Parts: sequence; C-alpha cells; structure tokens
Amino acid sequence: MNQPDQHLEDIKVIKKLMEESSRFLSLSGISGIIAGLLAIAGAVVAKLIITGTFQPEDWYSTPFASDPAAHRTVVLLFADMAVVLVLSLAAAVLFSSRKARKSGHTAWTHITRRMLASLFIPLVTGGLFILITIGRVPANVTIASTLIFYGLAVISAGKFTLGEIHWLGVLEVVTGLICLLLPEWSILIWAVGFGAMHIVYGLLMHLRYKG
Amino acid sequence: MKKVLGNFNKAFESRVRLGIMSVLAVNRSMDFISLREVLEVTDGNLASHLRALEEAGYISMQKSFIDRKPNTKYTITEEGMNNFTRHLRALEDLINKQ
Repeated sequence: MNQPDQHLEDIKVIKKLMEESSRFLSLSGISGIIAGLLAIAGAVVAKLIITGTFQPEDWYSTPFASDPAAHRTVVLLFADMAVVLVLSLAAAVLFSSRKARKSGHTAWTHITRRMLASLFIPLVTGGLFILITIGRVPANVTIASTLIFYGLAVISAGKFTLGEIHWLGVLEVVTGLICLLLPEWSILIWAVGFGAMHIVYGLLMHLRYKG
Repeated sequence: MKKVLGNFNKAFESRVRLGIMSVLAVNRSMDFISLREVLEVTDGNLASHLRALEEAGYISMQKSFIDRKPNTKYTITEEGMNNFTRHLRALEDLINKQ
C-alpha cells in the first residue's frame, strides 16, 4: 500500500471506530414496524374497552380513575397497554440482537447500557407522573402524557443511536401536545403517534440500514 | 509539506493505537474489555499499545473493582486529545494535497 492510500485508509478506520464505539447501530427497523402494529391493535382494544364499559360520550374530559365504577375500565386499559409495551420491548430486544449477530456486532455494550439508561429515566418519570395524576386530570391529559414522555425518552436515547430516531421523538412530543388540544380525538391521535409513526419509522430504517 | 509532516505523530503510526485514540476521543473513557471488543484485537496486543500510549502521556489508567472484579478504565488526557486532533488534521491535509 502506498502512503496516500494508507492515510485514506487510516481516516476510514478512525471514522468507523468513532461511529461504532459511540452508537448503538443494531436497532432493528422490523421491531419498529411490529411496535406500530401492536400499538394500533392496542388502541382498537382501548376504544372497545371505553365504549364497552358504558363510559359517557365525553369520557376524555373526566379522569380515568374518577369513581369506583370506572376502576374496571382503568384496570383493563392498564392491562391492554402493558401487553403492548411488553410485546414491543420483546420484539425490539429479539430483532435487535438478531441484527447485531448478523452484522457481527455485540448488542450488549457500554453504549447499550447508556442508551437504556437515557431511555428509561424519562420513561419511568412519565410512568410515575401518570400514576400520580391519573385520578386527577382529564383522561386525554393522561393519554397525551404517554406520548410526550415517550417522545422525550426517545430524544434522550437517540443520542446513542442512528440520527433519524431523534425526529421520531420530536414527532411523538408534538403529537402529544396536539392530543392535549383535541381531547375528543385522543385515541385516534394516540394510534397515529404510537402506531402509524412507528410503522413509517421502522420501514424507513429497514430500507435504509437493512434489518 | 514539511510542516504537515511535522504534525504527523509517530505515536499513532500503528492502527491499534490510532483505534484506541479514536475510540477514547469520542467516548472519553472506556474499560479494557469494551476496548478489546470494539477494536477486535488480542489482550496482549491491546495491553502493549495501551502501555505505550500511557507512557507517552496521551491516556491515563484507573484501576477499580466492580462487583469484586477488577476493572481497568482508560481515559484520554488533554495532551492526548490535542495530539490526536493535530494528527487527524495532518492526515486530512495530506489527503487534500493530492
């Protein structure tokens, strides 16, 4: 190898190492699509729970856990959301470790740990916020806070992975704010935020980074 | 041309050393195991290059215990950062001159 070629090769190696050592590159697009589909299914079930438990027409303007009669609705909705969350996380772990294995990377590194810490700090804060306020704020505010806190969590974790996810986070926050302004559309907006946006993001990632 | 070569740092001639500096420049500090994973080199090879960079004053080493297991962490020094940046700029200049 002659000198100039070697220098160019040096630069390439430096760039590759800087990128690989500071970013989680194995986040799978397929798991984004699965999370989106699960969210839409979850939103349909939520809509059925709300209409099936004889909630008033303007259910969104009163708190979810306002009176003992509404407790059953809250428990069902929590179960619904928990299933969506757990299955989405499982898909993310499964497909991301598969992607890592395929491309010869290690999925569990110091970056993964840092990324998860910055994901879960806003996410757990949001969870606690919702638990504390659920009996006191209108239902649409609770729905909006899931979008807002999730968006902030994605923005914060996005620093450790590929750039595009940052915009997914920003859009989730914006969707959450819209949800505050249009309470009667809460469930539909939630389905767009967690469903449609994840599917579009997952497709883009899958086409762009193959996997 | 002479000036460019003047900034060219002999300490970074080895790929492994260049790799160590690249990784520490963006992560500030990293433990031995993670470095070995990222750079895909053997223990002995990595250790000898780390020692050379430490002797040059470009990186520093902290030994500690995590869950009773020894953990060696390496951090880039200010001098190391300055020299690495200068070396990068020299590399870029050389390529742009063609």
